[in-house]
Amino acid sequence: MKVEVSHLHFSYGSIKALDDVSLSLEGGATGLLGPNGAGKTTLIKILLGFLRPEKGEGRVLGFDILHEPRKIRQLVGYMPEDDCFLPGMDAVTFTAFFGELAGMPRQEAMKRAHEVLFYVGLGEARYRLLETYSAGMRQRLKLAQALVHDPQLLFLDEPTSNLDPQGRMEILELIKDLANGKGIQILLSSHILSDIEMVCEHVIILNRGKVVAQGKIKDLKTMNFRLYELKIKGEREKWLAELAARGCQSEVTEDGLIRLYLPAEINPREIFMAAFKTGVQIRHFKPSQYTLEDFFARAVGVD
Amino acid sequence: MIREHGYSHWDGQFIERRLPWWPITRLNLKLAFRKKHFRPVYAFSFMPAFFFIVAIYISERIEDFQFIMRGGRAVLFEINPNFFKNYLASDFLLFMLILIMVFAAAGLIADDFRFNALTFYFSRPLRKRDYLLGKAAVIAFFVLSLTAIPAILFIFIKILFAGNFSLLKNYPWLPLSIIGYSLFLTFFYCIYALFLSCLSRHSRYVSVMIFAVYVFSDFLYGFFYNWFRQPFLLLLSLKHNLQQVAAFAFGVKPAQPVPWFWSFLVLGLFCLLAGYLIIRKIRAVEVIR
Repeated sequence: MKVEVSHLHFSYGSIKALDDVSLSLEGGATGLLGPNGAGKTTLIKILLGFLRPEKGEGRVLGFDILHEPRKIRQLVGYMPEDDCFLPGMDAVTFTAFFGELAGMPRQEAMKRAHEVLFYVGLGEARYRLLETYSAGMRQRLKLAQALVHDPQLLFLDEPTSNLDPQGRMEILELIKDLANGKGIQILLSSHILSDIEMVCEHVIILNRGKVVAQGKIKDLKTMNFRLYELKIKGEREKWLAELAARGCQSEVTEDGLIRLYLPAEINPREIFMAAFKTGVQIRHFKPSQYTLEDFFARAVGVD
Repeated sequence: MIREHGYSHWDGQFIERRLPWWPITRLNLKLAFRKKHFRPVYAFSFMPAFFFIVAIYISERIEDFQFIMRGGRAVLFEINPNFFKNYLASDFLLFMLILIMVFAAAGLIADDFRFNALTFYFSRPLRKRDYLLGKAAVIAFFVLSLTAIPAILFIFIKILFAGNFSLLKNYPWLPLSIIGYSLFLTFFYCIYALFLSCLSRHSRYVSVMIFAVYVFSDFLYGFFYNWFRQPFLLLLSLKHNLQQVAAFAFGVKPAQPVPWFWSFLVLGLFCLLAGYLIIRKIRAVEVIR
């Protein structure tokens, strides 16, 4: 396991940021998904040794997060969420500088800085002052500094925040490329479901400091439920109560569309039987794709 | 697709640096010299050193310069510990060091706060002390280049012009005094500038603070001294405290009849408090509890 933590607890005063979090990361790209304030960034900061958990333990790349944070940081690349840079520098100096701080020899850090800047698409702009960079370029620069020392593990904290759709796609393309066969494991923290779906094979869903689900996205999407979209005429509440008694869960969208989650063991005929029993007419019936968004909404308890 | 080149792995080996803070120092020195107006200010700070070298030369050619010796000015050209104290604790040099801090040290930590760069530093295998040493070494470079290095050079030049070692024979402890007081000055300026630099996210405010605190402390002393005529009031002034300690370091009579250790204590307490606050302020992440 490259990352393994168990029973982590962390609070900011009276606010519990992480509450008994246990998880492990396998190879490939893993999404750390959760609404704002779920504890994603706190978890990453604990993994890097920036914050000390109140309880619990963990290992990153075999090193203890409590006692060997410097060894972890040498082998891990971190792209923070905030807009960060050093003024008065160009991208090559900036990237090479952080390579050197990671422990690379100066000449090699400089050579490598050129390589990663070309990789992230800043080759032409590498001698420009960082103050003149656009938001998208700064985001790619942050990725370059995280890659310069060729990390085994990459922590990306909201890498697409503040980007326009094109910039977002470009960053995601890069991350996807890194995740595919480059030998770098990625932990991508985001509250944007589509970003995680595009890049990651695995997902960990955090809500209010707790892990509410984790596993392969494919498995999570297909497990336990079939989804149907319906429109009806008649007493909706009565019909939904009847379905709930049979083990179905439902939600009603703003435009009156009913989404029914049918457990695998329940036959779809039950929907019609409940409608017959409660005198409801079904006007629209369509099997739907169970997306990560549906799973996420159910896991964190929001529409 | 924005990639211009494919990703390739680095096949080198990490090295264990004996001075892990050195890249920080090197980079910040480079950035300091790139700052507008900094180079003329730094060069101008060497003016006293130049005049003191001229004084050493004159001291060895005293007969040739009789025309400037009227009115007891010969004392200016006596090369003794007081000569070195006058250089290292001169109002001008101490003020120029403050100006150098204004230009080169104000943004050392403030800019890292402002542009969230601390996270980058501490996401590397770097300890807090490495970060602080890296920043402090920038200040140390400028202070030592204007204090210890010229003062040691004065000794060499004096030996060279005199053709004998009489200066060192008469005052064998002089090099130690120079080094000791220069290190004391360096330590004070490092703490002073870094402390003020971590009080704000804007280096301009820090520049103003570095300048204002120094000048205001001196103003305060002058104001109260005119009022109460108490020599102990010099403890309010950073400059006078530094000069009192210098007088002790070079074994000369201090300007005011106040024991040197009071000044040392005031500066020491200031450094302790400031050092504690610096350590508290520097974190990889802002934790609000």
